[in-house]
Amino acid sequence: MEVVPISIAAAAALLSVAATYLAVRSGDLLAAVVLSAVQSVAYALIYYILMAPDIALVYIPVSVGVLPAVTVLLIKKTERYEV
Amino acid sequence: MLDLALVVAGLALIAVGVFFDFVGAIGLLRLPNFFTRLHAATAGAIGGAVVPMIGASLVALGADYLGPARFFLAGAAFASSLLLMILAQAGSHAIARAAYLSREAPREPILHDALEEGGGG
Amino acid sequence: MDLEPLVSSVLAALIPAYVASFLLYVVRVVKGPTIPDRVLAVDALGYDLAAFMVVLSVFLKSPFMVVCGLALALWVYAFDIYVAKYLEAKEMGG
Repeated sequence: MEVVPISIAAAAALLSVAATYLAVRSGDLLAAVVLSAVQSVAYALIYYILMAPDIALVYIPVSVGVLPAVTVLLIKKTERYEV
Repeated sequence: MLDLALVVAGLALIAVGVFFDFVGAIGLLRLPNFFTRLHAATAGAIGGAVVPMIGASLVALGADYLGPARFFLAGAAFASSLLLMILAQAGSHAIARAAYLSREAPREPILHDALEEGGGG
Repeated sequence: MDLEPLVSSVLAALIPAYVASFLLYVVRVVKGPTIPDRVLAVDALGYDLAAFMVVLSVFLKSPFMVVCGLALALWVYAFDIYVAKYLEAKEMGG
């Protein structure tokens, strides 16, 4: 029964690696913002499983709330597609 | 006896939520275009998130090995489910309206476009 | 009747189905041909992950960890609104 949460955390970590790679390689910056939101959600689940709900409670507003807001505002002011 | 009934009802609701979650994921993967995937995503959000939260609330009310803090768990889970029942529709509607107006998703298989004719927007 | 083994065994049987459906959602996020598809999949993924956090706090026997689910649901909704606002403002020329 102890191995269940740790294996969920391992799956979330692998998923965050894949999402980060695709976000770096993506040419559409808005798609990169969405993929980085997937990475943030996976990290929030990892913090939750490692019994740190206070860190998750700070990480979720910063990384799902503030960072995409600032990035979307920045994309709106400049360009959406990379060259 | 009441505790056992509450726990069994809550576990059944969590199982129903897992079923809806899986069906919503498969529908989101298999349906052909954006406006049909919207249906699957909303089924996955309401059936897969609101129903398990109510189930977890019932389990927490029944499971007395969690200590007195189980009432906090039950209340927070029920409040989350009520809040999510409002937010999921609003978010899906906002993204669908934005996708329709900005022509980001193709409108192609369409029979009658009442919003375009009526000058909505 | 003892309730703890019942709850633990049933939840341990249900958790892999949750994780499998999360992986299917992520496949749609990666594949999605347009931006609204991806945002819709992230939306459903966040709501279901919030419900999963609530279920997991029953499974891990730590009741005060339930607050993260509430915060995650609220902020994923906010993320949805940001992208919708961006797409709609681009159409209206703002």
